[in-house]
Amino acid sequence: MKRILNATTLAVLLLGAHAAPANLHAQAAPPPAKKASAIQVLMIQSDEIKLPAEFQISLYENLIQQLEKQGGFQHVYREGEHNADGVADLVVLHSTVRGFKKGSERARNVTTVAGKTSIDIHCQFTDKDGKSVLERDLNGKVQFFGGNLRATFDFAKKAAKLAHDNFAANSVS
Amino acid sequence: MVLRSMRRAIIFPVAILGFAALPSVAQQPAAGNKAVQITGLVGVKANASGNLTLENGSLQFATSGAKVSVPIHSVEDVITDNDSQRVFRGTLGTLTMFAPYGGGRFLSLFRSKTDTLTIQYRDTDGGLHGAIFTMPVGKADPFKKALVSQGAHTTIPVQDDSSGSAAKPDAAKEKKP
Repeated sequence: MKRILNATTLAVLLLGAHAAPANLHAQAAPPPAKKASAIQVLMIQSDEIKLPAEFQISLYENLIQQLEKQGGFQHVYREGEHNADGVADLVVLHSTVRGFKKGSERARNVTTVAGKTSIDIHCQFTDKDGKSVLERDLNGKVQFFGGNLRATFDFAKKAAKLAHDNFAANSVS
Repeated sequence: MVLRSMRRAIIFPVAILGFAALPSVAQQPAAGNKAVQITGLVGVKANASGNLTLENGSLQFATSGAKVSVPIHSVEDVITDNDSQRVFRGTLGTLTMFAPYGGGRFLSLFRSKTDTLTIQYRDTDGGLHGAIFTMPVGKADPFKKALVSQGAHTTIPVQDDSSGSAAKPDAAKEKKP
């Protein structure tokens, strides 16, 4: 009886040990990336969160600059650009502000630990028909050096990397 | 020995303070709309300082190396706000971080108030652009009024305050809804 119990436990353990990595592998595997030759960036939306205009513009402009700098897309279109209408494999980036905390550069300089500025943004990549292909929450922050607007640069770098890794034609994914 | 190092610690920030204050004092009375373009204008480097003017139905920003023009009718939004910035910034600001006895931290307490002017405009292809300028306190609101009177649009109406924005308290400044 004891032997049967031991054998059953061992079999269950072995089965579990074998299944676990396969399950993990299934979770970690990225969805099949849809490559795109061009990306269009829409203006950052901040309906729920009160975001100063300079932050909104800085986010938008930095995002476009970083996407152009990263490369991988033939064109980076702005919101409303007519030329984007004819692109078949266009990816559109919608960004919505979910959280914003304006810190203080003075507090950062004086105390080093206080005065952090952070922005939480929900990024949604859609195809031309508006069907969502990727959604991710990203964060931009400035903790030590620089003005408050530097948080927008931090976000832009992360978002551009995300777009490049998932959609750029020459990405290494 | 202690006295000498204390004297050095005091002289260093004071010397930097005086050195940096001279050009800023010299720049203040200059006429026109001296502005710093933080980001947004095509063909102009970030943090480039220049002159912001309204000429022939267009908004012009001229630096020593470039001149950019934006038709006023293409300006879809003009928003002003206020902010502050370090008195010692740029290379000098970085150098002050190495000042002994926390001198850099002390100097970072000195900040000057600025006005920010944010515009949104469309290019000829319909692409949406944004540009951010900083300018001396009290300059942004009159500039916005002039922009709107010449055909620029704004989501926040211009306040009819003939006394100008220089004496305006912070609470009276417009805020985006």
